[in-house]
Amino acid sequence: MMQIYKIDGSDVEIISCPPEDVRKGDYLIIEDVSTDKGLIIQVVNTGYANVPGILEDILRESSASGIEGKDFDVLNMRPFVDMIKDAKVFSCKIRRALVKGELSYDISWTPFRSSSRVGRLADEELLKIAAIDQTPSIHIGTSKGGAATAINLSSIDGKLNIITGKKGSGKSHLSKLLVLNLVAHGGPCVVFDINGEYTSLGYTEDDVKTSINDAIINIYPGVNFKITLQYAGLGVLLNIASSVLDLPATSAWEVRRIWNTLQENKNLSLKSFGEAVDRISNNYVRDAVLRRFESLVSTGLFTDNNSEAVTLEDYLTKVKNGGALIINLKGLPSSFRQVIVEFMLSKLCSMLDQWFMRAVFLFAEEAHLYLKETYWEDIVTRMRHLGIFTTFITNQPDSINESIYRQADNIFLFNFTNENDLATVSKATMVDVETINTIAKELPPQYCLALGRAVNDFPLIIKVRSLQIKTLGQTRLFFSNLSIQDKNERSQSRRESHSPDSLVPSKNLPSIQDGNRNKIKDRQLRI
Amino acid sequence: MEVTTLSQQTPRDFARLGRGSLEGIIASSFKPKTSDLFDQDFRSLNDKLILNTNNEDGVIDPITLHSLNDETPVFGVDTSNIELGETKDGTLCAVRGTIVWRENGSYQYVRHGPFIFHISEANKQALYNTLRQIHFNEDEAVGAPIVEKMSDRIRGILERWLQRQICESCEDSLLLFDGSLTTRTVNGPISVLGELLSAARSRNNAVLAISKETSLSVAGHRMADLIDNKYAPCLLDIDRIALSQYGSHLHFFGRIYAAKLISSCFTFRLDVDRKIPKEEGIRAVERLLGNDLIAENYPETLRLAHVLSRFSASEVLAMQRFVAENYNLKVICRPNIRQVLFGPYGGFSAMRQEGADGYDADLQD
Ligand SMILES: Nc1ncnc2c1ncn2[C@@H]1O[C@H](COP(=O)(O)OP(=O)(O)OP(=O)(O)O)[C@@H](O)[C@H]1O
Ligand SMILES: [Mg+2]
Repeated sequence: MMQIYKIDGSDVEIISCPPEDVRKGDYLIIEDVSTDKGLIIQVVNTGYANVPGILEDILRESSASGIEGKDFDVLNMRPFVDMIKDAKVFSCKIRRALVKGELSYDISWTPFRSSSRVGRLADEELLKIAAIDQTPSIHIGTSKGGAATAINLSSIDGKLNIITGKKGSGKSHLSKLLVLNLVAHGGPCVVFDINGEYTSLGYTEDDVKTSINDAIINIYPGVNFKITLQYAGLGVLLNIASSVLDLPATSAWEVRRIWNTLQENKNLSLKSFGEAVDRISNNYVRDAVLRRFESLVSTGLFTDNNSEAVTLEDYLTKVKNGGALIINLKGLPSSFRQVIVEFMLSKLCSMLDQWFMRAVFLFAEEAHLYLKETYWEDIVTRMRHLGIFTTFITNQPDSINESIYRQADNIFLFNFTNENDLATVSKATMVDVETINTIAKELPPQYCLALGRAVNDFPLIIKVRSLQIKTLGQTRLFFSNLSIQDKNERSQSRRESHSPDSLVPSKNLPSIQDGNRNKIKDRQLRI
Repeated sequence: MEVTTLSQQTPRDFARLGRGSLEGIIASSFKPKTSDLFDQDFRSLNDKLILNTNNEDGVIDPITLHSLNDETPVFGVDTSNIELGETKDGTLCAVRGTIVWRENGSYQYVRHGPFIFHISEANKQALYNTLRQIHFNEDEAVGAPIVEKMSDRIRGILERWLQRQICESCEDSLLLFDGSLTTRTVNGPISVLGELLSAARSRNNAVLAISKETSLSVAGHRMADLIDNKYAPCLLDIDRIALSQYGSHLHFFGRIYAAKLISSCFTFRLDVDRKIPKEEGIRAVERLLGNDLIAENYPETLRLAHVLSRFSASEVLAMQRFVAENYNLKVICRPNIRQVLFGPYGGFSAMRQEGADGYDADLQD
């Protein structure tokens, strides 16, 4: 039996005697039958009831422990004593009021102790009351109690999401699940894949192409993704040169002059650009520009060969009505990553601006590795406005600015054990510190605490469902037994079989030359 | 000693009478007590003796003790009672008692209870008579005490029953009682205590009674400061002084000593069966020193019997919940953690009535 012990603001303490098996994260409901109101509360901590004298009991018991004897407990009082000793206190947070069956944020009202009943709120019931799974929805897993849990598509659409948790807790897995489901619902996605682990999204565990295989397009910058200078455009180029390559302003002016001249002469190419840079009379400027030019060229992203050049539009057309561009950043030098990301973001913005497409869902893994400080705000404000709806995935919660957390609509929190990480997250999120500290610490792998819109502000522990896809995200081990090694070998060959042909989204995009195949293989070996 | 006999007997009719007394309260109201559990420890306060000595009595020489380990089994008995709360007609109380013994270096126990009684003006006389009849074989009706005192009396009867167990089944053992070996002067039939002691003696046992909390004072000195640490372990024979002052209206079945068993610990009152020769009685104390642990100046056997009998906070709550649930009681009290804890009912009690007149149950016979 559960009873209200204390209510203080949004904190409620419930005493349970005999103790019920209620866990952190579970929901309870306080129903006041006299007023037809209720409070939906969530257990954030559990402990033994501080029964007066219990300490004395324990000391006393230990002082007589180890002696054997016989009890003529004729009234059979033992079970009653155990029940009292095991009495539990559940610290709870009020999440919402229920007034005549309707949810209400007004939780100022206090139920009458005498006419209130405290009971469990079954997960199914909660999901129904919270109405978080109205179609179209994404089935993301099960509640702790085993109820199928789906989140409304609209709670992700147009929103900013953060997936965070410690290494190996299942963040990327959830991110993949979201990508696949968005794709299935016709959503265009772009993934900055820092570990090259999204490349097999279109394959089942048995390496069979899935029904959306065609919609998963792997982009290897500089390999199957090369662009002309013309396509990049001066703006993007200057932006990259200054922000990524630190080109001084005077030299930028020189680049602009060269660009315009070549443009007028209809002679804009890497080759002519390089020659023009060579002709710059000021040594200092020439060296500065030359160095940047060379590092751009070395990325392999640019080409003068029109037959191998592609455009982002070519690719986006393929995923416009459901599909994902996986931009594989694995193994790229950090400045190259930044070049790619900046290029992609600038292009995406201008394409959205021109209504080439309505919106795009961007998934950014460990964005601090390739996104400059200045871009973050831009992503959550201007770009969001244009239709770039971002999900940040990171195991370093402090790599995300507090203001970003505050603007997040959804946070999927996986296990954290590190106190600093917990502190960062709890400071910045939409839910109370206690909830984060007590629940997030004890989440098993593959479980997340979902906060925000997706769960209609009912913090919910969800066991993320498994995916019937081939996963590449596993931690690599040096020592592994034969069978695992065997499997790795197979997956290695499988990876080769995806590339190079499957890298090519369609016939009207360039096929990869033999030399490039080797390059891809090389890269994979380096990976 | 046939320990097995100890573990086969149960105090006759305690459970039956207790249940019977509870039948009367079904669906009535109940006001649980919430006072201090420590109250149940202060029973022996009643073994109060204030002794005056004149200067001409001179100094009493301490009797030095030498620990004697001869594998004598040691038995101890203690009981406890507590008030659980009030009903509209009376009061609910619980009693429990334990025998602990040490044999070959290890301790064992047999514990009886709790037994729960509802005591009202209406049933107290019948209850009292029946228990006395069964346990003391007393057919003559005696006026029952006030309702508030009944739980003490029931406990006293249980305690005598437990003492009888060891007196009649042990041989060549030390038997430790809690409290004193004192009763009011007996006019009528022979005292139950006297019977117990003689049963014990006939089996070559020595009965010692120890007052945990005694307020014996001699010549204006509290007994605690009576003996200098350097004499411990020792006894102080204060029997003559006690007899001369209280002998006319109290009956001392024991020889009275002040005892200090460990230096730096307090001094307490120790009664040794008067009918065993004084030297033998002193040797019994020396055997106690050698065959039981003395922690905190107090024999471990008796400490364990006390610990095992005493009611804990959770046990009190459990018993309150037990009666409230099984007899469908309506609980009246302001909500607090205790009430919440045991459901629709409330609170717990540990109140003991303290009174001037607190001698053991058979003192009134
Ligand atoms: N819900 C799940 N069902 C089945 N397997 C899962 C689930 N979540 C994660 N995994 C597996 O657990 C492993 C680690 O998961 P994942 O790569 O998503 O962790 P991560 O949090 O992204 O780790 P890192 O911080 O290293 O990137 C992977 O092998 C993944 O396939
Ligand atoms: Mg990951």
